[in-house]
Amino acid sequence: MGEDFNTDSMLDMFLYESEQLLETLENVVLEKKDEDCFDEASINEIFRAMHTIKGSSGIMMYENITKVSHKLEDVFYYLRESHPENVPHLELVDHVLEVSDFINGELDKIREGETPDGDESKIVDEIDKFLTRIKTGIEKKGDELPPENTYVEPEQFYIAPTGNESSKYYKVSIYWRGDTQMCNIRAYTAVYSLKEIVEDMQYIPEDIITNEASSEVILADGFHMLVKCQATDEEIISTIGETSGMDHVEIHDCTQQEFEMGFHHQEEDNIIINLDDKEKGSEEKKEKKEPTPGDYVIKNKESGKSKKLAKNQPKQQPKQTYISVNVEKLDALMDMIGELVISEAVVLQNPDLKVPGLDLTNFQKAAGQLSKITTELQDVIMSMRMMSLTNTFQKMNRIVFDVSRKLGKDIELEVIGENTEVDKNIIEHISDPLMHLIRNSVDHGIESKEDRIAAGKNPKGKITLEAKNEGGKVYIIVRDDGKGLNKQALYDKAKNNGLIGNRAMSEFTEKEIYQFITYAGFSTKEQVTEYSGRGVGMDVVVKNIQSVGGNLEIDSMEGAGSEMTLKIPLTLAIINGIVMQVGNSTFVIETNAVKEFVRISRDMLVKEPDGEEYIMLRNECYPFIRLNQRYHLEESKTDIEDGIVVVLEHESKFICVFIDELIAEQEIVVKPIPSYIRKVQGLSGCTQLGDGSIALILDIAGLIAGEERK
Amino acid sequence: MSEELLEEFEDEQDAQKGMFMTFQMGGECYGIAITFVQEIVGIQPITAVPEIEDYIKGLINIRGKIIPVIDVRVRFKQEPFEYTDRTCIIVINVKSTIVGLIVDKIAGVITVDEREIILPPSLSQSGSVSSKYVFGLAKVDDEVKLLLDPERLIQDEDIAAFGEVVSGTEVSAEA
Repeated sequence: MGEDFNTDSMLDMFLYESEQLLETLENVVLEKKDEDCFDEASINEIFRAMHTIKGSSGIMMYENITKVSHKLEDVFYYLRESHPENVPHLELVDHVLEVSDFINGELDKIREGETPDGDESKIVDEIDKFLTRIKTGIEKKGDELPPENTYVEPEQFYIAPTGNESSKYYKVSIYWRGDTQMCNIRAYTAVYSLKEIVEDMQYIPEDIITNEASSEVILADGFHMLVKCQATDEEIISTIGETSGMDHVEIHDCTQQEFEMGFHHQEEDNIIINLDDKEKGSEEKKEKKEPTPGDYVIKNKESGKSKKLAKNQPKQQPKQTYISVNVEKLDALMDMIGELVISEAVVLQNPDLKVPGLDLTNFQKAAGQLSKITTELQDVIMSMRMMSLTNTFQKMNRIVFDVSRKLGKDIELEVIGENTEVDKNIIEHISDPLMHLIRNSVDHGIESKEDRIAAGKNPKGKITLEAKNEGGKVYIIVRDDGKGLNKQALYDKAKNNGLIGNRAMSEFTEKEIYQFITYAGFSTKEQVTEYSGRGVGMDVVVKNIQSVGGNLEIDSMEGAGSEMTLKIPLTLAIINGIVMQVGNSTFVIETNAVKEFVRISRDMLVKEPDGEEYIMLRNECYPFIRLNQRYHLEESKTDIEDGIVVVLEHESKFICVFIDELIAEQEIVVKPIPSYIRKVQGLSGCTQLGDGSIALILDIAGLIAGEERK
Repeated sequence: MSEELLEEFEDEQDAQKGMFMTFQMGGECYGIAITFVQEIVGIQPITAVPEIEDYIKGLINIRGKIIPVIDVRVRFKQEPFEYTDRTCIIVINVKSTIVGLIVDKIAGVITVDEREIILPPSLSQSGSVSSKYVFGLAKVDDEVKLLLDPERLIQDEDIAAFGEVVSGTEVSAEA
């Protein structure tokens, strides 16, 4: 097992990293899609993403990915260097998305263990043409062509270059205005941003972070760096950027020798270097008040040895705030913490402690501390499984963009609360349903531009995707300001399709009519489009959502839009449950399903001649189950007035269950019943309680189904 | 995990070859190959599960793992017995199915030479239900040990019937 992991880890890393990069890339592109052009930051972002993918796919020897990403990198290199105007922005967006799709497709193939054999030449050709076009556009205007991106990345195993022939050496000096505060920090910011592009650098004073006094030195004499890189001096200046208080930046070419001698040498042999300095710099040197040799001596005494920043790490590592961990390991950790909690209970409730007259004050203190830590530990492991919905929501952005463009609609997607966190398992289950709902809204919900104008609405449609936490559940809402649902049409359609028999429209509530669209074989759209309208969508959506214990609510106002609300539990593994006792057995019911607890008097119980029982509660009749009879439990209460009746609801169906007594409400960890034991209707799992005993979890849907079948 | 270790250290596996965990039950002494045995725990509270076979007593919780337990006596259609302090649960792992066996008491570990294992007498002679779970007899110190085939013990013709029941309920639950 360990070995497998090692050989695959490089591939895993590549897949993971590329996926992340493509995601950021897509987000950047979609964010800027409505603007006229990319701003500098996003151009850099895209350039960097492509550059990294190019490099890593080269290492992994996926040639087609390398070529495609190289091509796109070229385009953005050009954009970055020469800031051309009149770039057809939407076309560029298309190209970027196309490349991203292509690479994603290839990554999928790699993930499946296939060879990525997609043909890249078409995309490369198109981008080539595109690039030539924007370049010639510039030429006509008489601007100068920037140098081609001649930087060729070695395609196979390589270590990030620490320098080669083409490296250039510069001496960079930054000066701040006299009244600037904290120059040392500002200098460090410059060093930090330069790390991105340089191969090696040294600077004085080098104790800028540790020594606050260095701030004054910098203020007086400027901050001097020797850098070795492949970038041009302009690039260096733009990388350092403008920060407040910065007076001016000077940059001079220097030789490798000078670089290697560093500032140390200058201290001893300053004059020679000054003489050796390129003529170009010498004139400027006067005006920039080159520090006298004495200054250098003092500085070096303060700071000791010059610091070298080797540039050995790969350039654009994604932020190291996340590590990816195998889910199995997390599960194992969660199991172990579960065991820990039980062991804790065993120790703290040990019968040996119950000797009369034992002084347990100190023990109880220590025990309290232990309990606190284990509870926190449990919380942490739970939170580790939680992921924010950001990624899922961002995918929707792309869908809205694609579908609305294909359909010729102008639609804006507003995303609210994408930071809401949900258990990882659940995220995997809601991504597809959500996609469906969004597509439906774009396709069916939002009207065409003409219709919108005719209806006096903003020609630009709007879809809102919102997530929020409420009462232990996550609500995900897809809202559109389209035409809404037509009740009459829904009813007619359902009737014609034979889904509701012969019942009259007045028999249904508004919400029930809206629910028709979730029935299998129902589609209101007359024409089937590429994206929706086959009538298989909504019932699949509902099934998927139900499989994670959620449900879908639909609300609509004709002419004003519709709202689909997904209500899903925060996590599958932990539910809030009510623990109850019947005879010697302990059962748990999910708290959300419980409507109320009632004490019933004998006259509320209706008994039919065939033995079936009902309960009349506030003039409504509910089916009734005695759990003890249902599961043949002994030593339980039989008199209805001794026990408690729990009213349960599942999908608008009610059932009353008779139990002996309630024990507690608590969070429980759901575990499956071992598969060796055959499935029992009405039981969905089991859990261990605080004292280590096992309780069975009742499955309300199963109970109701069992009752209906009778 | 223990399985992996066994595979890795063949020596150890060799050492375990021919070793049987023996236990007493209603006057008879049974043996089960030690490679199947995961651990032995004392009797503990068992949570009954309704509507299942009578020989499956329910579920126990061993350090957070929930394991079904079988009363071997009931499985052999013998009289059920009162659980005492000496009653033990042998946790066995048969092809990744983990099951606990409730037995009267543990006798010990014996080593049996493969050649000394005698095939069980025909059904007509013994007439006991347990014989269908016994794959051989071994005589150790003038005492006959009945060697059990754990696979047959936990999985037999009944299981096939379960399968249908299970799939049946699932379909109806979805409908």
